[in-house]
Amino acid sequence: MRMSVELPLWRALTGYRVLTMLYAVGLFATQYDDYDRPGIAIGYFVVLCGWTLATLPRVQNEAACTKRFLAADLTVALTGIVLTPLVVNDAHIDSGGPTLPSIWTAGSVLAYAIKGGWRWAAFASTPVAVANLIERGAPARDTIHNVILVWVASIAIGYVVEVARASERTLARALEIEAATRERERLARDIHDSVLQVLAMVQRRGAVLGGEAAELGRMAGEQEVALRTLVSGGLTRVSWASEDVSQGAVVRAVDEPDPEGPVDLRALLAPFAAAKVSFAEPGAPVELPPGAARELAAAVGASLDNVRRHAGEDARAWILVEDEPDEVIVTVRDDGPGIPEGRLAQAEGEGRMGVALSIRGRLRDLGGSAELISVPGQGTEVELKIPKASRGKAGQR
Amino acid sequence: MSDQGPIKVMVVDDHPMWRDAVARDLGESGFEVVATAGDGDQAVRRAKAAGPDVLVLDLNLPLKPGVQVCKELVGHNPALRVLVLSASGEHADVLEAVKSGATGYLLKSASTEELLDAVRRTAVGDPVFTPGLAGLVLGEYRRLASEPAPAADADQPRAPELTDRETEVLRLVAKGLSYKQIAERLVISHRTVQNHVQNTLGKLQLHNRVELVRYAIERGLDDE
Repeated sequence: MRMSVELPLWRALTGYRVLTMLYAVGLFATQYDDYDRPGIAIGYFVVLCGWTLATLPRVQNEAACTKRFLAADLTVALTGIVLTPLVVNDAHIDSGGPTLPSIWTAGSVLAYAIKGGWRWAAFASTPVAVANLIERGAPARDTIHNVILVWVASIAIGYVVEVARASERTLARALEIEAATRERERLARDIHDSVLQVLAMVQRRGAVLGGEAAELGRMAGEQEVALRTLVSGGLTRVSWASEDVSQGAVVRAVDEPDPEGPVDLRALLAPFAAAKVSFAEPGAPVELPPGAARELAAAVGASLDNVRRHAGEDARAWILVEDEPDEVIVTVRDDGPGIPEGRLAQAEGEGRMGVALSIRGRLRDLGGSAELISVPGQGTEVELKIPKASRGKAGQR
Repeated sequence: MSDQGPIKVMVVDDHPMWRDAVARDLGESGFEVVATAGDGDQAVRRAKAAGPDVLVLDLNLPLKPGVQVCKELVGHNPALRVLVLSASGEHADVLEAVKSGATGYLLKSASTEELLDAVRRTAVGDPVFTPGLAGLVLGEYRRLASEPAPAADADQPRAPELTDRETEVLRLVAKGLSYKQIAERLVISHRTVQNHVQNTLGKLQLHNRVELVRYAIERGLDDE
């Protein structure tokens, strides 16, 4: 069984009752001369000890501690207090001597506090206060002092118990939510996997059957890429915010206004993956300042447009993201015819290098660069680099 | 291959649809499908009994994850070649499978021809890389390199490093070039390209094994 927050309190109470019982008996023994009728006192202590030991199981937890027990327990304490003037001499009472149960009474009130919180504690300590005043016969200062002490202490402990219970409930709720979320994610993984299998199968069979089926297969293939990109972690997690501190783990998803911190470049590039566009990344977040990441993503988008314009709709393209210690490199390659050597400058003049390289200037502002590499027969590569130092933390490196 | 009879293949996939389609394609193309299995436990038992040359393995399996199946079977028979065929390509899983001995990785969206070619290449010990896997492996090496270096006197294994040439080859694979194109571009032989790619995987797998042994010794598992 999980250890509850209040279990230690019940254990403390059990110990308190036994120790104060021994204390009360010891007190009686040392002040035996004060007693006019020690027989009644001894009879009361026999009952007190018997009751305390017999009811030990009653103060082990909340369920065992019934209202009937609490009422009987309080009655034992009150009886002891009221009996006191009948068994001791007047000097004992006037000097503010202890009652028969003495501090054992507090245990009874604390049981109310732990069971029901501060209201129950206030309810139980009131008759104890009244009984004490009756026993003393007059509102003496030390009696009032003791009465208020019991009152304040029991109410405070009752309040602490309530707070502890509330936080325990919140914690249990949070654990429940977390478990449910994990289970949902696990189920989603399985379902996604199955859907991916079916889409891939449709694509595969469609290609074999040809005709209309081939078209269906092609569409399934597009969706397969989109879903795979989504589930393989292409998208960033939503941010969670805790709104009410007292509610602790109760949170809700929020839209981040404009992220100040670094963003994961992969999340911006993953949507470019498609049936003819492969996306290779290092398998861990590639963090860049938001501005730099956006520029890079825009440059990649422009490069892909360029591929389609110059190498044709059927051209395939590959995106590679590399997270070097001091820079981030993104390469976009196509399998088009490429640009023959010597024509590179001319091509640049004709605008053949397209929008991607018009971003060159903007990348340069961020301290980066854009290079065009073409090997005949192996397509064209655009290599975009952004140094990480541009995030303004250069001093750290 | 021709003098040793057909390549023996085992197909492990929890989707009967896929298992049957892949097994049929392989069978029609001259491979001998010696066994199939639908869950992890079954896969381990049947692979040990049937002794395939190549294991075509889905990573998302009931009862026992595919990565664990790969670990156990490669540990049992290091000559076994494992080709991972995955639908979702979850990064951590793929990387873990490669580290524990898989030498090939293909997405299920690959065409039948690509699959057949991949099984053939896996059988002769050629690593089958997708550009995505090359990107992951590059990233893994970089992560290993950026980890704090162990103290000079410690008997900890050094993190594996790629040579400049290996990095170059792997980057070209990640950019979608075929081995043939890479060989042309770097003016080296096709075989050399294959060796470089193989080394990148071999070092990761070796590092993984060394780490496991070190872990076992630290935990006192080598005691009698």
